[in-house]
Amino acid sequence: MAKQTIEITVNGDRYEVAIDPWRSLAEVLREDLRLTGTKIGCNQGDCGACTVLINGRSVSSCLTLAVEAHQREVTTIEGLAKTPQELHPIQEAFVEKGAVQCGFCTGGMIMSAKHLLDKNPQPTELEIRQGLSGNLCRCTGYNKIVEAIGDAARRLNPAKEGQ
Amino acid sequence: MLLPRFEYHRPARLDEALAILAQHQGQAAVLAGGTDLLVGMKHKLMKPAHVVGLEALEGFGQIQEQEGMLLLGPMLTASALAGEPGVRARATALALGAGVLGSPQVRNRATVGGNVCNARPAADMCVPLLALGATALLQSAHGAREVPLSEFFLGPGRTVRTPGELLCGVKLPAGGPGVGSGYQKLGLRQALEIALVNVAAFVALEDDGQTVKTARVALGAVAPTPILSPGAEAALTGQVISEELIRQAAQAAAADARPIDDHRGSADFRRQEVLVLTRRALQQAWQAARQD
Repeated sequence: MAKQTIEITVNGDRYEVAIDPWRSLAEVLREDLRLTGTKIGCNQGDCGACTVLINGRSVSSCLTLAVEAHQREVTTIEGLAKTPQELHPIQEAFVEKGAVQCGFCTGGMIMSAKHLLDKNPQPTELEIRQGLSGNLCRCTGYNKIVEAIGDAARRLNPAKEGQ
Repeated sequence: MLLPRFEYHRPARLDEALAILAQHQGQAAVLAGGTDLLVGMKHKLMKPAHVVGLEALEGFGQIQEQEGMLLLGPMLTASALAGEPGVRARATALALGAGVLGSPQVRNRATVGGNVCNARPAADMCVPLLALGATALLQSAHGAREVPLSEFFLGPGRTVRTPGELLCGVKLPAGGPGVGSGYQKLGLRQALEIALVNVAAFVALEDDGQTVKTARVALGAVAPTPILSPGAEAALTGQVISEELIRQAAQAAAADARPIDDHRGSADFRRQEVLVLTRRALQQAWQAARQD
């Protein structure tokens, strides 16, 4: 069975990769493109550690074939900040609020938060929790993560504060 | 957990897709959102030699409305259906079901076509679609046929769709004034959950605003497939709707349920929950029908 060549844009960079069609996007991101910020946890769409954005929407990259990302735009945790020297406001809030412990879930959590805040810039606590319902964390008990996302929403929308 | 090896096809036209399915009958799996298929393949429950991805097929992700019918493309995702104002207003139960399916990541990928073809007894889109009176539109290289969802499901994971056929759409009557629907799901947790019991209800009122012209109650997770409750339909049709009538219909639905004991809950508990959820779903439908 022949490899297939796909063109994907990842974090703004265009790649052409020849891959076996049965490989997941998570595998290709980690093993071929060396973008290991995307983690593989359960590998069946339950834990959310592999969450990336495809054309702006959060998906489990373990349950997406890499061939399905052909001619699409993928954003991973590595591509969130404007430059490699900076952090994105969501990342800053995670660090400051102590929302990162072992760190394995963090990339996926932040990508889910990004998807949530893009759709809903001022979520309620319930909406934040619903937005994270596809991401598991075994360290934090979630409260710090929820706080960090609320904080990130305020950082991203300072003008609209004051409810 | 790696995927078994397969050849991937990305047809850009429907005739191309149907030709691939015809050529590899029984050897080809159809990939829509992948949230069920790829999990099953990773667990080696399925090892298709060919996978036919529908992502490039034109029009498969569209919603059309014609002659009072909603035509849903099979690649519409759960998030698209949950968020689409036309679906929320005209097929409320479906929007509600799609909105509580899986998790945000699952909803961004899972499709209505996949949900219908996977035919799980508790499927969050199948139960509403059954109550809404939906029809599956099937096509093969040899022709097309329409199958009401009430005749489409055969058992867990089994439908009347043959290996050469592709689900090309789902058709349902668009709701309007005097028509409403509701959806209720009971799970052991709030997200990423397969329903312990789920119920969808549909009510269409006569012009007087109180006599039930048509009603359907669909039950999930209480039989090998999503089922309609003939008892609830008979109890409601032609009657003046009231809280008391809704209670009677809920009892009839509980009598029609055929639940089993399993690791998620007992048959007795499920039957009791059919009663509660049917009542709530009918109240939701009634309220929506009055509001239009």
